[in-house]
Amino acid sequence: MSVLLRLLARYRRAVILTTALVLSFLLMTLQVRHETAVVTLTRQALLFVVSPFIKVTAASIQGVTDIWRDYVDLRALREENKRLQLETTTLKRRLDQLQEQALETQRLERLLAMRQASQAEFLTARVVGKDATNWFKTILLDRGSLEGVRRNQPVLAPDGLVGKVVEVTPTSARVQLLTDPVNAVGGLIQRTRVTGIVSGNLGAGARVRYLPLLADVVVGDEVVTSGMGGVFPKGILVGRITAVERRSGALFQEATLQPAVDLSRLEEVLILTALEAREGIESGTRSRQ
Amino acid sequence: MNWFLPGLLFCAMAQAVLLGPLSVWGIRPDLFLLLVFLVSQRVSPEAATALGFLIGLCQDGLSGGPLGLHAFSDSLLGFLAARLSHHMYTDKPLALFWLLLGGSAAAGGITLALLTFFLGPRLLLPALFRVIAPEALYTAAVGLLILWLPQIRAALTRPT
Repeated sequence: MSVLLRLLARYRRAVILTTALVLSFLLMTLQVRHETAVVTLTRQALLFVVSPFIKVTAASIQGVTDIWRDYVDLRALREENKRLQLETTTLKRRLDQLQEQALETQRLERLLAMRQASQAEFLTARVVGKDATNWFKTILLDRGSLEGVRRNQPVLAPDGLVGKVVEVTPTSARVQLLTDPVNAVGGLIQRTRVTGIVSGNLGAGARVRYLPLLADVVVGDEVVTSGMGGVFPKGILVGRITAVERRSGALFQEATLQPAVDLSRLEEVLILTALEAREGIESGTRSRQ
Repeated sequence: MNWFLPGLLFCAMAQAVLLGPLSVWGIRPDLFLLLVFLVSQRVSPEAATALGFLIGLCQDGLSGGPLGLHAFSDSLLGFLAARLSHHMYTDKPLALFWLLLGGSAAAGGITLALLTFFLGPRLLLPALFRVIAPEALYTAAVGLLILWLPQIRAALTRPT
């Protein structure tokens, strides 16, 4: 025993370095092959400890930004006041016409909201943090399993698809964006109904892969979710094609996709929490077309 | 080394929240890597390895990548930086910049190799030009500013 300890003490540098490297390698292997409880618990514990600080920091930054904005607004207020007084006279005349239109819009909005509420259940969440590396594209939300967030729930913004929930703690959730290199979403070219796989490409945009070589795909085509894979409901807008590549000898063609949502400026998102929402989203998108 | 835990917490906050508006083409400096460099200049190679592992693990916990990815590269870089710190000590800004650039690029290379091994082939050129090179440049520039700040302050306050 003493010999072993002496050997360990003598080669402690090599032992510590090897242990750290082997442990890292083991953690990665366990996670990539199949998610084990140890890895999941470690990730959740780390996120659980750090996420409250991230929330507080994000809230503080928001507070400071608001105060600064209010100050700037106050300075501009005096000049704006003069301009507004002139505008008031003109606006009064238009007001009567608009009041009638507003009443009609309100009625229609109420009907639409009622229809959406009956078919889909959304949870609003704030984006409080981003991925700590430049290799992956994920965001951290301020809602967790206590509010009903679960893994693989789709995350949307008013303009289209954002990604899916990949990690949940009681008070926070991590969302893998559709531009993440590891992400894969079943996509459908809306005009020609050709299917492909949307995935990230280490840049700001995304790629649509495995499009049949002879498929009709042109720049400007809109891509929606295909519904295949069982994670994303069919018909959610993913983005628009900005370039098509047909390489000689390749079995498939590829396209560059500009996401419909500006993923670098996300502040609030919607988490799709109910299963019956699938039909709601699909019919909602179709009705807009 | 009383500043290690607050420093780690600050890096986590900055990397996840504060650096968002400072990102250039979606790339932010790797503050965790700078922390590894700072720590490795002040402790033994054994401690630098262990602390590098801890820093990397924290970074992995706040990222969507596999746990252990940055723990691997940070523990290795921590060990090497601590081991070579006596031979490579310099206060010349250009040398410091190249040192940080090399270290950051090496960390990126290790990450790319590990990702290729575990998650399938990555496109080398996009990874090199969209992630590794800009991240190394940005990290080195920010690192130079942080590491050289005490000297700038001393030069400014020196009596003429």
